[in-house]
Amino acid sequence: MSLGLEDPYARTDTVVTEQRPPGSRTAQWRRYLGVPALLALVCVGVVVFVAFADLDDVERRLLTFDGLRTATLVHLELVGLSTLLVIVLAVPLGILVSRPWARRLTPVVVGLGNIAQSVPSLGVIVLFAILFAPGFGGAVVALVVYAFLPILRNTIVGLQQIDPFVVESARGMGMSSNRVLREIELPLAVPVILAGVRTAAVIGVGTATIGALTNAGGLGSVVYGGIVQSRTPVIVVASILTAVLALLVDHVLGVAENVLRPRGL
Amino acid sequence: MPAMIELEQLTKHYPGRSAPAVDSLDLTIAEGEIVILVGPSGCGKTTTLKMINRIIEPSSGIIRLQGEDVTRANPDHLRRRIGYVIQQVGLFPHQTIGRNITTVPRLLGWSQQRIDDRLDELMHLVGMDPGTYRDRYPKELSGGQRQRVGVARALAADPPVMLMDEPFGALDPISRERLQNEFLRLQEEIRKTIVFVTHDIDEAITMGDRIAILREGSTVAQYDTPETVLAAPADDFVREFIGSGAALKRLGLARVRDVELGQWPTSPIGSGREAALRALASSEHGSVLLLDDRRRPLRWVRADELEQPGSLERLGVEVRGTVEPTTTLAHALDAMVGSRVGAVVVVDGSGALLGTVDMRVIMAAVDTMRTDAHEQDREEVPSR
Repeated sequence: MSLGLEDPYARTDTVVTEQRPPGSRTAQWRRYLGVPALLALVCVGVVVFVAFADLDDVERRLLTFDGLRTATLVHLELVGLSTLLVIVLAVPLGILVSRPWARRLTPVVVGLGNIAQSVPSLGVIVLFAILFAPGFGGAVVALVVYAFLPILRNTIVGLQQIDPFVVESARGMGMSSNRVLREIELPLAVPVILAGVRTAAVIGVGTATIGALTNAGGLGSVVYGGIVQSRTPVIVVASILTAVLALLVDHVLGVAENVLRPRGL
Repeated sequence: MPAMIELEQLTKHYPGRSAPAVDSLDLTIAEGEIVILVGPSGCGKTTTLKMINRIIEPSSGIIRLQGEDVTRANPDHLRRRIGYVIQQVGLFPHQTIGRNITTVPRLLGWSQQRIDDRLDELMHLVGMDPGTYRDRYPKELSGGQRQRVGVARALAADPPVMLMDEPFGALDPISRERLQNEFLRLQEEIRKTIVFVTHDIDEAITMGDRIAILREGSTVAQYDTPETVLAAPADDFVREFIGSGAALKRLGLARVRDVELGQWPTSPIGSGREAALRALASSEHGSVLLLDDRRRPLRWVRADELEQPGSLERLGVEVRGTVEPTTTLAHALDAMVGSRVGAVVVVDGSGALLGTVDMRVIMAAVDTMRTDAHEQDREEVPSR
């Protein structure tokens, strides 16, 4: 999963581009819209529950529509911002250490990424809250560290898995190494890099809930509110929303992988 | 012919290895020739090839292209003047066939109109319909079609030189032979200077105007025409590398028009039995060839068959499997072995008799080739 090589979206896409059966566009749209429809249904269920269930005062205070909406948005911001930052940092680094002259650095960089990811996420978040300020900023930095490895590693693997003879023939025709990177290597690595982004973002949605401990906001704060007050319905509602968010992020990035994958692959 | 490529003292040392992969190689390649680098695996032939366009940078030595020292030239600009075809083809999987083929013209900044015209021309040249294939992707093509695209892509900007590294090595035998023949026909038109690497001596003999047989360290064991290499191998290494069947391979290079044909007793079928018997009596052959009124061979008839009653049209056996002057001696030999009388009839374009090829003709041809090669060898010492 972390390399995205066994990704279910990759399979279905190959079939679509190769055979192009009539009506495949509709089939594709049905697949693209099916998951969001299901998730929307779950959200409606949550809204109905919050509106009509027999909740006590504490639960009512913790579960307001405004509060849930803000928590969800902050959660998305945490994940979105950190993932974007990782893309900006890890993809260039991955490209850099994949250049022939930097091959010896690759294991070092991947090792550092491994260390960052093997530290428990709770530890990373608290550590960065102490190092930086507690709150949103610290949590973003922690999430960046945590999501760094999947994207870095997939960038490196994505570039390494390219048929070396494709690069050799490009160089042999007189394309400069920069041009080969831009026109050949990066487009061919896009599917694997995007798979890494997807993995990182989905892990990010889960990890971001811990950000509540350092006052970062997000759905995690609602869950912890429920835990502190021993209100199971609150915990369940916030957990369901987190799961919906994770599935939605996974789905949207899956669609993006399909759309951005170069034709002919 | 002026020299197109000159390699002087070209050497490649790989770090961590004591023996150089290519050791002080001197080689001159004449304009318009197909030169084959052939040798056992690990002899350095591919390293040599890849040093010409500096995909592998030489450790020392000089590479000259059209007289110009390109050893230190900008490698990207150098490579745009040299077509490059490798066994794995290396098409860009995310680009259409059209885009793949026009890579170098786009690098050189040609106008779109010129690129489009050239693309059509190239696709016709390698026998692929532009309308059908231009917008397809490499994965939709067969191995043979991909290598055709590879060749078209290498020819795109009309470079004077092509480097080909076992270009047909990954194809099945039938596609390989077809592409070899197509390529030779193409070369008649385009007259490029081609350096071609293979480990297959038969391919070298078929494709090469000149063969460089290399031993370890890319040392030239012999550099000569296929005919001479086969007839007069320079040493035991070359002899062993050619392997068995050198004589047969040589027959694959000579054509029927190059040898003195045998003459068989003939008789016009209209002149009747007596004339046929007379023709037979005046020769040492055991059968006579009956011709029609335009000297086209009809039947082989033996003396004892002429004694039998019946019309001449039904005696003996029909003449089958005639060959033409352009047929190779190897094919003529095959037809000869398969015929009843141990001879094959040679006819011209209109089907009229020119002569016959039998065992004596073949043996005489082999003898001549051997003598020629030795004489040429003596004249050309040192043989480069």
